[in-house]
Amino acid sequence: MREHFKGVILVILLGLFALAGALISGTQIAYAHEISIILTLIAVALGYRIYVHGIRSLLHGNVTAQLFATIAIFISVIAGLVLPSASATGTAEAVGYLTASAIVALIILAGMTLEEYIIHRTRGALEKLINMSPNTARIRRDSAEVEVPIDEVKVGEIVLVKPGDKIPVDGTVISGHSTVNQATITGESIPIEKTVGDRTFAGTLNEYGALEVKVEKIAEDTTLAHLIQLVEEAQEKKAPIQNIADRFTTYFLPIMAVLSSSVFAASYFTLGFEVALARTVTVLLVACPCALSIAVPVAVAATIGNASMNAIIIKGGTHIEKLKDVTLVAFDKTGTLTIGEPRVVEIKTFGNYSEADTIKYAAIAEKFSEHPLSKAITAKASELSLKIPDPTDFKTIPGQGVDAHYGNKHILIGRKMIAMEISEAANQFMSKVENEGKTAIPVTLNNNVIGIVVVADTVRKNSLEAIQRLKRLGVKTAMLTGDNMRTAKSIAEQIGVDEYHAELLPEQKVAYIGELKKGNVVAMVGDGVNDAPALANSDVGFAMGAAGSDVAIETADVALLGDDLTKVDYAISLSRKAFNRMKGNIVYAFVWNIIALSLAAFGILNPVLAVVLAEAGCISVVINSALLLLSKPKAFAKINGQAK
Amino acid sequence: MNNLETKKEHVQKTEKVILNASKTDCTGCSVCSDFKADSLRHAVARLNGVSKVKVDEITGKVTIEYDTQKISFSKITERIEKLGYQVEVLSREEIQ
Repeated sequence: MREHFKGVILVILLGLFALAGALISGTQIAYAHEISIILTLIAVALGYRIYVHGIRSLLHGNVTAQLFATIAIFISVIAGLVLPSASATGTAEAVGYLTASAIVALIILAGMTLEEYIIHRTRGALEKLINMSPNTARIRRDSAEVEVPIDEVKVGEIVLVKPGDKIPVDGTVISGHSTVNQATITGESIPIEKTVGDRTFAGTLNEYGALEVKVEKIAEDTTLAHLIQLVEEAQEKKAPIQNIADRFTTYFLPIMAVLSSSVFAASYFTLGFEVALARTVTVLLVACPCALSIAVPVAVAATIGNASMNAIIIKGGTHIEKLKDVTLVAFDKTGTLTIGEPRVVEIKTFGNYSEADTIKYAAIAEKFSEHPLSKAITAKASELSLKIPDPTDFKTIPGQGVDAHYGNKHILIGRKMIAMEISEAANQFMSKVENEGKTAIPVTLNNNVIGIVVVADTVRKNSLEAIQRLKRLGVKTAMLTGDNMRTAKSIAEQIGVDEYHAELLPEQKVAYIGELKKGNVVAMVGDGVNDAPALANSDVGFAMGAAGSDVAIETADVALLGDDLTKVDYAISLSRKAFNRMKGNIVYAFVWNIIALSLAAFGILNPVLAVVLAEAGCISVVINSALLLLSKPKAFAKINGQAK
Repeated sequence: MNNLETKKEHVQKTEKVILNASKTDCTGCSVCSDFKADSLRHAVARLNGVSKVKVDEITGKVTIEYDTQKISFSKITERIEKLGYQVEVLSREEIQ
């Protein structure tokens, strides 16, 4: 901020001196003319940053717009000081040249300062992320609590996090219970429960309870710091479209040299020295190569910044260009479109037993089992706040079920455990749910079927919406899974993907992506670890829920930090918008330069107007690119509106 | 006792390095080079242990002062290289 302040002060001072110089020249006070010249020269001198920049760049082998400006201003100043003695018009003209050069310096300096400011603001997204992480941590040392700067905290120490505080480190909760808002990392603003054994991330917000966290990662090693570094690196990776802009800029210098000298020669022989001089200066000032070369890098940085605020990390300009072309998105099923772990989705009861009874007896029998299906049942029991006593004895028969006793009650769980006849109603129900790709678990109590628990992997709550949004963007969708046909069909029908392919081995998924790529630009969405080969084979690989996994982030072209699949279409529509903006800016800057240079060459512009045009051209491109930081993709905003 | 130990660990050893960081893209435009210099400056300044960073946007000369106990020289250059620069060490000296 301070450097901008200094820049603004310089601009204001320059303006004041130029104004004073111009005003005094019109008055009758003694030495008005001389004072005016001195004030104006001071004003011109205050534009020193332009000249220093121009000349130093030249010494370093680069020709910049600042160099053109320096030459133009130098010529005008000399003309202002020398010409009046030679010409009859005298003082008024001298002041005219000098004032013009001061105004030119003022406009260029103001432009430079404004551009620097805007560009600095483009880093806004990143700054926001950086500021998420607290600078101090409250730690326990020698049984006392001390607050220390974050870089003095060591791995293995215990950090105390009060309610309402930001968590300063990555670590594991060793005591306490709270909810934590992890929006910084995952983009998901619904708080997550944290208790002993759970991992915490630096930069996330602890809500109601106090937590003690054992430090695992600090400073640059935290997940948040990694994300920031990734964004920084991504913002530096240029988009291929920049090559077009770069090619133009390489030709800029020779074109300018030829153009300005021919304009000078042509006007010198037809209109005389002074006109030739004015036109050459104007040509030099109106050129705006910057607009061409800055358009793309600022747009890339702003787009990646925008994405990072939405918990999406696009790992470079190249991927923005690929994303915009995506015509088909392939999703992995388990863990991507679905939650990836079985849950109780339905409970059918028989006789006088309630749903709670069914779950209770099932949970007693399954209490000590580690099987995923058992976990689904015990999770349901705690969701219903049921107290589950220990079974008196139990026997798990792998692949079949559980045989358990609780007091004088005999519990059998699982289809294959049940020897007796099952009622027609129960049988029908079971074949129905099994056809839907779900698992039916009958529960018997003393040889009576009291209920059937239906367990299935459930679809994530945004999967359907994500697919619909992609369709609205005109993007096809596909689901690839290693799961059986029945389950695949059921899930595919629930979310409405265009095509699905079941029973694929990992290497078959990779091959299938290859198939899909014939005629499509394919994005693949997966967890980034098991699907890494498939992601790598796609045009754009999305890793979902990547926040905690460096491997996933590493393999992906685009990392979705949270589990929200609607970010896929956000990334695609943002990229489309960004690319159009980049292309538009290049065309605009190119046309702008051609028009402005032609006007200048034919003497339609004066130097002051020329510099106003040049700066306006450059600044409008910079602003237009930087605004990508704030923009919401159109399609996205519209659907959001409809949803409300 | 413990306190004394921590203090001892924090005896600073500051080193000053001057690097030349160059990149192929982006030439001839002050806005663009300012933009790159700004990013580079921030990225390095945020490294734990780096106390001063100066980036000359025209020459690409980067001056860094850092605490050798907190960060290694290679970690700094690695960070700059990851941002797409080629790094050449111009000088390296202990200043404290």
